[in-house]
Order: sequence, then structure tokens, then C-alpha cells
Amino acid sequence: MERALRVLNDMEHAGVLGRYAIGGAMAAVFYGEAILTYDLGVFAVIKPTEGGLLSLAPIYAYLRARGHTERDECVMVEGTPVQFVPVYNPLTEEALARAREVDYAGTPTRVLRAEHLVAIAVQTGRSKDRERCGLLMRGGNVDEACLRNVLDRHGLLARWHEWNPSLRR
Amino acid sequence: MEPVPPEIARLFEASEERRRKLAALPWPEKVKMVVRLQQMAAPILRARGIHVHPWELDEGEPPPADAAPSVG
Repeated sequence: MERALRVLNDMEHAGVLGRYAIGGAMAAVFYGEAILTYDLGVFAVIKPTEGGLLSLAPIYAYLRARGHTERDECVMVEGTPVQFVPVYNPLTEEALARAREVDYAGTPTRVLRAEHLVAIAVQTGRSKDRERCGLLMRGGNVDEACLRNVLDRHGLLARWHEWNPSLRR
Repeated sequence: MEPVPPEIARLFEASEERRRKLAALPWPEKVKMVVRLQQMAAPILRARGIHVHPWELDEGEPPPADAAPSVG
């Protein structure tokens, strides 16, 4: 994963990729216990095309030119399947803007904050997101006042109240 | 709802404590555990027709320990 992160940092420095941060399951692993996942989810600012569309084509072209191959919805970057997710709404934009600067085995990178991971999971709403919420809440790294603030601002408190009682078991 | 017997409650507490310790490990250690989980799950998933690819560990990175993380 370290080599994949170096490639992501190179892409950011080269301007191919806007600001990026790790999200999804691997970000949950940063805060909690190891869980099974097969891809590295990367939230990123993607520059729109002249027509205003968000396209991953320039990213894929950059990586393809350097020998990284596409596989399903991911690109194999140094042996790690990376899934690029353009920030797609105000919550993910805020999550990326406030991502934590961290270090992975000597390589700088960013990880979405635990409170934003929970909020994104609540917003996405699949059963696996609910499980991830439980994992993050049990991990003890969630600032509950901060989480409540994020959920409130993004209209997610009702669903959170629906989910919350079962998440601590 | 019937209360959980104290000896069973202690088992649950011990399990939770182990999970807290696993969660507190350094991130690279946990990533190695994820790779080990991927390696363990891949044959089962492939047998079910789901094609997955365990990650390659970085050069110089020791392989994950034989002891698999608890997933319970």
C-alpha cells in the first residue's frame, strides 16, 4: 500500500489528481480493527472537463501510461486495487477538506475523519455501512459532539437516531 | 430479556477487550492483517465464483504473521 500511496502523492503533485484522502473500509481500519476489504477507496477532487463533467479518464490515462492496469471499477496501482471516488456532494466535499494528515510507514497521506466516515456511512445507508458505523463507534475514536454537528448540518440525524441504539452492542 | 450469566458476560468483555487491542495496533500492522484476511478469504470467494485479488505487500515489508486476526 505504501507504494500505491507514493503514486497517489505523485499524481497530486503533478496536478492529475486534486486533493485526495483515503475513505471507505481502509480508512475504517485506520480507526478500528482489521476488516476484510479488497480495494483502497480514495476520495478525490476531480477537475471537471470543459463541458463541466466529472471524468476519471485523465487519471486512468495517467496510470495506464505508467503501466497500471484497470480491473473492474479499480486501477491496480503497485499491486493495490485503487477505487477513485470523486467527491459528489457537500458532505463528501467537507470530509475531504477536513481529512487528517497521517503517515503510513513513512509516507504522508490523508484519511477521512472518523466522524465523516460515520456520516457518509449513514448517508449511504447500506447494510455494510451500518456495520461500519458500529465498528467505528466501538473503536472509541469518534468525537460524539463533532459527529452530531456533522449529522445535523447534513440532515442525517433522523437516520442516525434510527441506527444508533443497535450500534454499540 | 433474561440477564446474561456473569461467566458469559466476562467472555464477552474479554472479546471486546481483544478487539479494542486489535483496533489500537499501528495502521501498517492492521493493513498486514487485512492482507492476511484477503489471502484467507480468496479461495473461499473464488470457489463461489467471486474473483478477488489479495494485495501485494510492499518490498521489504515482512509477510503478515501466521496468527490471523480475530474476526469474531
